[in-house]
Amino acid sequence: MTESKKPSNRRKFLTNLTQVLGGVGGVFSLIPFLKTMSPSARARSAGAPIEIDISNLPPGSYKVVEWRGKPVWIIRRTQNMIDKTLEEDNQLSDPKSLEEHQPNYTKNKFRSIKPEYLVLLGVCTHLGCSPLYKPNAKSKELGLDWKGGFFCPCHGSKFDLSGRVHKGMPAPYNLEVPPYYFVSETKIIVGENGENV
Amino acid sequence: MNKYILILPLIFYSSLVGASANLELQTVLIDLNNKASLQRGAKIFMNNCFGCHSLKYQRYVKFIDHLSLDQETIEKNLIFTTDKNGKPTKIGSLMLNAVNSDHSKESFGIMPPDLTLIARSRGPDWLYTFLMSFYQDESRPFGVNNKLYPNVSMPHVLWWMEGIKKPINSDLSEFEYVKKGNITEIEYKQSTTDLVNFLTYVSEPAQLDRYRIGFWVMLFLVIFSFVAFLLKIEYWKDID
Amino acid sequence: MNKLMAWIDERLPVSNFVKNHLSQYYAPKNFNFFYYFGALAIFVFILQIVTGIFLTIHYKPDAVQAFASVEYIMRDVEWGWLIRYMHSTGASFFFIIIYLHMFRAMMYGSYKNPRELLWIFGMLIFVLLMAEAFMGYLLPWGQMSYWGAQVIISLFGAIPFIGESLATWIRGDYVISDATLNRFFAFHVIAIPLLLFALIYLHLAALHTTGSNNPDGIEIKNYKDENGIPLDGIPFHPYYTVKDVFGLSFFLIIFAFIVFFLPELGGYFLEKDNFVPANPLKTPEHIVPVWYFTPFYAILRAIPDKFGGVLVMGLAIFVLFLLPWIDRCPVKSMRYRSRVYKILLTLFAISFIGLGYIGMNPVTPILTWVGRLFTLIYFGFFIVLYFISPKEKTKNVPDRVTMHE
Repeated sequence: MTESKKPSNRRKFLTNLTQVLGGVGGVFSLIPFLKTMSPSARARSAGAPIEIDISNLPPGSYKVVEWRGKPVWIIRRTQNMIDKTLEEDNQLSDPKSLEEHQPNYTKNKFRSIKPEYLVLLGVCTHLGCSPLYKPNAKSKELGLDWKGGFFCPCHGSKFDLSGRVHKGMPAPYNLEVPPYYFVSETKIIVGENGENV
Repeated sequence: MNKYILILPLIFYSSLVGASANLELQTVLIDLNNKASLQRGAKIFMNNCFGCHSLKYQRYVKFIDHLSLDQETIEKNLIFTTDKNGKPTKIGSLMLNAVNSDHSKESFGIMPPDLTLIARSRGPDWLYTFLMSFYQDESRPFGVNNKLYPNVSMPHVLWWMEGIKKPINSDLSEFEYVKKGNITEIEYKQSTTDLVNFLTYVSEPAQLDRYRIGFWVMLFLVIFSFVAFLLKIEYWKDID
Repeated sequence: MNKLMAWIDERLPVSNFVKNHLSQYYAPKNFNFFYYFGALAIFVFILQIVTGIFLTIHYKPDAVQAFASVEYIMRDVEWGWLIRYMHSTGASFFFIIIYLHMFRAMMYGSYKNPRELLWIFGMLIFVLLMAEAFMGYLLPWGQMSYWGAQVIISLFGAIPFIGESLATWIRGDYVISDATLNRFFAFHVIAIPLLLFALIYLHLAALHTTGSNNPDGIEIKNYKDENGIPLDGIPFHPYYTVKDVFGLSFFLIIFAFIVFFLPELGGYFLEKDNFVPANPLKTPEHIVPVWYFTPFYAILRAIPDKFGGVLVMGLAIFVLFLLPWIDRCPVKSMRYRSRVYKILLTLFAISFIGLGYIGMNPVTPILTWVGRLFTLIYFGFFIVLYFISPKEKTKNVPDRVTMHE
């Protein structure tokens, strides 16, 4: 045996080559394993866009539907609610929806495509509870300055009627708006952007 | 190259499945790369078989990638069922049909089996031979019998394509057509091949990927082995 | 880097471990082809554990959902088919490797003094592996899973007095059912793998205590240089690590070929009847165990008595445990043993393969008689060996190993 001898260049080269090739092969064989954990065809099909019929939704009422296992709210605002929605409001932390938690086409004070209909993901941006719909102003429980909106029972975050978060709340940003579009006057698709985006 | 890779396992597979049947099976040439054949097969299946036989492990949406069909075509031409709200079945759904099991048991004596995996349990040759082996037999409830699967509780659904044949002699070795189908014998063979091709694809959609990926994996491993062999030789020069 | 290593070594002797078991663990330099299978077995064990974990993520151990969940893995889970085929192919390859690994021990006398315990641990691993494979085969809940399990568990019913209640206890029901599936799942994914892990550790610990045998059956520790290093030994690392990397890559070529191009292997690795969901009311035309059980299954069928069959089949496995004491020849390797031994060993191998073939096929009168003949040869090997081995005409065993390349 010739252990004391320095390894030849050929030996070094082949060792490195084997290690590199083995590493590449190893990384590639990891991919299938990791990919099995991403949503399967079943999960994706359950998460496919859903069609919602809003023809029988009276003004002031709301509807909850499930999309990707989460509640989606569709709220039909009354004229009064529309009129009272302000561009600027010192109660709110991000009244202009500058942070990207809604599609671009809902980046307005109503946070919706049509002022009359609000579509929101009913999941508190704090820790994922589902907030309650409290449309009436000046409630006993929420104080005299309450203008109507959403209240999260878990940690007390408050949102206005456009889902904009109040200042100083545990929730860090506004309620999310899922991608959606109107197929007709009375039908919306949630889970997908419309063609004109 | 790809063709051979595809055919090799099938020959092996077919020969083994065939060995257990008591009747000589006819050979069908499966080609899963032939998208047109798969599409025709899907159409025949959905129009003639799906009423009774579900494909309950398969999802419609897979046809987009696997059969090169677009969503609209699938929704218009292949989805005939509705969900519990009466709306057309969604494209991501499993391919279940509306067969009420009690009703089927009454009319056929058994539940028509789900056919998702039939090509794996029976083999493509068996399916092809089965579909070619219906003949007229007035003693049976549906007026037909099957040479490969005697007394099968299934009508000859494709009779309007093939026509109806009647045995000339009692040992069922020769037949003559007593009713003409609306296509020729050659066309019927092609249609049956398409149908079996489709069912073979449905039984294991992974086949579309595994031959292709397998080729690259093998190529990598052969190169790696060669390098590993050189490395081993290099180190073992030390040993005498 | 060196500092970090020193810091760790003060707290955990990592460097020492590497020295003792790799870079300064001396293995005989004359290992041949058959010495790849130990390392390959460890590789396949790890592969089965890893693929198994990822299958468990999606599989449902429930009689109603099990079959569909396997098809879900095959279709709806991204790359699920690959993981499943690796696991199913891995199971068969595990047995190919283990059978060759065991046959190696028989050719070169690796079970003999001082390696009896090593052999016993190996045999325990083999028995557990059969249990592991058997229980895993129930999980897809196909016709073969169901009826295979039905037949094998019924074997316990053949034991006098307690048999029937034992079989019922194992099933947790009067037939194979959801209860059986659920407990088999627990054993398959947790209990037996843990035991296997422990036994493999003991197997390796015993191996590194006695050192490896070799094709010449010579103890290399008998001839050492002035530093106490065996003259015929070479450090496991790098020499055997590079050799095993080559062996592994070659193995992977074959393995990948099966996984990608012949995952069913014409019905031997995945049986066609197992693509039909389990149906307790309809037995498939002909029930065969998976190929790796067929030699023992053929022995079972060769005996025309229910309890007798079970007993003889159990004996066929148990007798292997006693091999170190049945074979009383002082010479280890068949290279230096008598012609009689070589003939015996060849007959034994033929009978084992023959039994495997018979076990795969339906019962016919001729095959039954051939099966009986092979069963006789199988046991005859051990009986004849016990009597002839002490007075075998052996050749001169050299002092130092020989190289044949």
